[in-house]
Amino acid sequence: MLASHFAPWTPGPGESFDSVLAAHLLRRAGFGASPEEVQQAVDQGLEATVEGYFADTSEEDADYARVFDSLAGSIVDLEDPGAVQAWWIHRMVHTRHPLREKLTLFWHGHFATNYNKVGVMPLMQRQLETLRAHAWGDFPDLVLAMARDPAMLIWLDGQTNTKEHPNENFARELMELFTCGIGNYAECDILEAARAFSGWHREGAEFVFHAEEHDFDRKTILGRSGRFDGGDVVDILMQVPATPRFMAGKLLRFFAGEPAPDVLDEAARLLDSTQLNIKWFLRELFLSRHFHSEACLRKRIASPAEYVIGTVRTLGIRVPAAELRDRMTAMGQELFAPPNVKGWDGEQKWINSATWPARVAFAQDVSQLDGESPFGRRLPLEATVPLDLTEPEDVVARLDAILMQGGLDEGVRAALRELLVTTDDGAVADTYRGDEGVRYQRNREALATILSLPEYHAI
Amino acid sequence: MITRRDFLGYGVGGITFVSMGCGLNRLLARAAEGAAAAEKNDRVLVVVELSGGNDGLNTLIPFEDPLYYQNRPTLGIAKEEVLRLSDSVGLHPQMGGLAEQFLEGGLAVVQGAGYPEPDRSHFRSMEIWHTASTAATAPATGWLGRLLDAVAPEDLDVLSGLALTGGLPQALGAERIVVPVVAQLEALVGTDGSNREKLLKKLSTAESASAAPVAFMRRQAQAVYRAAEKLQDAAAKYQSPVEYPGTGLGEQLRRAAQIIAADLGVRVLYVSQDGYDTHSDQAAGHAALLEDLSASLAAFQTDLTGLKREDRVATMVFSEFGRRVDENGSRGTDHGAASTMLVLGAGLTGGLYGTHPSLAQLGDGDLIYTTDFRTVYATLLDGWLGCPSEPLLGEKFAPLAFLPA
Repeated sequence: MLASHFAPWTPGPGESFDSVLAAHLLRRAGFGASPEEVQQAVDQGLEATVEGYFADTSEEDADYARVFDSLAGSIVDLEDPGAVQAWWIHRMVHTRHPLREKLTLFWHGHFATNYNKVGVMPLMQRQLETLRAHAWGDFPDLVLAMARDPAMLIWLDGQTNTKEHPNENFARELMELFTCGIGNYAECDILEAARAFSGWHREGAEFVFHAEEHDFDRKTILGRSGRFDGGDVVDILMQVPATPRFMAGKLLRFFAGEPAPDVLDEAARLLDSTQLNIKWFLRELFLSRHFHSEACLRKRIASPAEYVIGTVRTLGIRVPAAELRDRMTAMGQELFAPPNVKGWDGEQKWINSATWPARVAFAQDVSQLDGESPFGRRLPLEATVPLDLTEPEDVVARLDAILMQGGLDEGVRAALRELLVTTDDGAVADTYRGDEGVRYQRNREALATILSLPEYHAI
Repeated sequence: MITRRDFLGYGVGGITFVSMGCGLNRLLARAAEGAAAAEKNDRVLVVVELSGGNDGLNTLIPFEDPLYYQNRPTLGIAKEEVLRLSDSVGLHPQMGGLAEQFLEGGLAVVQGAGYPEPDRSHFRSMEIWHTASTAATAPATGWLGRLLDAVAPEDLDVLSGLALTGGLPQALGAERIVVPVVAQLEALVGTDGSNREKLLKKLSTAESASAAPVAFMRRQAQAVYRAAEKLQDAAAKYQSPVEYPGTGLGEQLRRAAQIIAADLGVRVLYVSQDGYDTHSDQAAGHAALLEDLSASLAAFQTDLTGLKREDRVATMVFSEFGRRVDENGSRGTDHGAASTMLVLGAGLTGGLYGTHPSLAQLGDGDLIYTTDFRTVYATLLDGWLGCPSEPLLGEKFAPLAFLPA
């Protein structure tokens, strides 16, 4: 194709796939990474790193299924929203397939279903597993799976949609928010589509088709007529040109950042050409010139998941997932409870006078973590910033390298050097160099400061 | 950043969306004059959002209309239970507190509020109400944001607008200023002011020419620090014997009273009550919501009187749409169109305004609006807040008589 933005990225003179680009990829396609993982990506190169993201997941799936089965009902109370939320966060932190969890989060935001209405937490967990199973598959399959998903049937009232009393809720959101977007259908298309989904119901945790409640008459949807059922509606919507464009835009905003019009045009054509296959599209995106350009680098605002999970993965922090869940909730992202059927708006909407203090509080509190968890040091900062580094300049450079890949302004680095050697009682330059205990404390103050900087939250 | 001086001098900034060509300069000049006049006005507007689409027909009930009972076989409110406001309409039985306000003359009930070509999408319709625009591409700012862009003083220590909601409502989206959200602000202040905190405040609020997300976050951080200190002070000083319902709405209105009592220069406060998307088994849930709404607003009004602020505050209640006239098969109602608005305050002339929509002539099964909701906005902007509405709304709307023109 005549692609320009989606042409493969190749290093220009003096460029390479260095830690800046590797960390960028790891933040966007996953949830951030330790310095060792960044180095590993640099060593492997871009293509191998991207290919590794799509590796076979069956081993991890079996592990998690086995552990989940053994914990379900005891450690993980399937009826408790908090426990199910924490279980997913645990997986985001520990997964060997971060792209898949990231995509699962994307789809959760896209098909935004809220447990407060669904009321049956095991169905939310089951929906999550469906989203994960289809994460980088064919989009049409996922849409159909969601149309038959028990939690979705409760969430958008499909289970009360009958021939006698069509309920429009699912049909409307299917068009407005899940596939082609507002402006690409008429009110009458929604009414007709609702009829096509009539009788698509739920019994317990299973999808059932109630033929006696289904409207078998002809429907006309987006100019096509027939005795359509829900599957036909999905097929029709997948052929609407607006659908690849709408979905390419959403994927770009989530993984790359708000696209310029010409980037979106190209992405829409690309997604269309893959017949809405998510893996093909994302592979092209992650390998593209556009993804590795200044237009994308640190041009997004981290979601609470990206900030919290990313910080935990980058620094190897060990805290209970339930605590991370509470932090993310305070920052405006409670899993399984998006604010409405449109999902989280994201970007600038993440930051307000309620959520910014919550982000700063998290930075402060994780930086002060001390002692051991059952699995190791709770904040193993000394593994990446060794205490035998005694020069403030070296310590700040090391923190900058791990967290910002050397991107901090010199003015900020100077202020951080000053902070390292100044306590509230005054200057302690000599004590800092001479006393390991002081370094231990002061390094954590500098860490808290960097984690609280707007620069760190631009990913 | 757009400054107040730019606004007054050149008219760029908060109202650029009114790019409708002819008369623009005249409108801008009037906005500037209005902004100058509004500076001397210290009145407050409290906006209550009922999220999800409130069933206006079961809020203000046309109890003499047989069509109402035909369309609402299970959800209809019996005639004898309605709290009558006139010979033909009355409030839901759980709204005793507001019915009392009506009798005292402090409640204006606006019937049939809506807009042309109603949209049944929550998001699109909410966007129309928040931006006060039915244009296909919504303006980037909200109607209250544009108001605050025009009237908020340059002084960073004055909090002109505050949201008591979980996030920032689109209506408060502004160009020149940042409207803080009250919740959790205290987390940032109230600690010891260590070197690190001072440094963090300095670094995270620095003015910068840096990339867009960083500059945006720094502006947010500035607003956070500024607001946090003021609110802490307001909460400490507030004393009141009034008990509010122990609900989210009750708590938001109690905080609103605290803030108003502290005279921080607030002009706009925004609260919300969620749960109105009553697709199934509506009766009990909707009654509970209206009871909370009525009791919370009545407590707020009593509190304001005790605090001697009642003459300075008007409260407007809206929802993104009403519900379908005929109930659905799940004992609920689907998304509709025109609904009922309320305006409450000691300084206004209570009564019924507009005409109740016909239940015989419907638009696609929905009530057809009889009063453009922007008429209410215009009445409040011109008659209450003293800021000319036409430049902010992009159109002239004839005011309703609950305030002197």
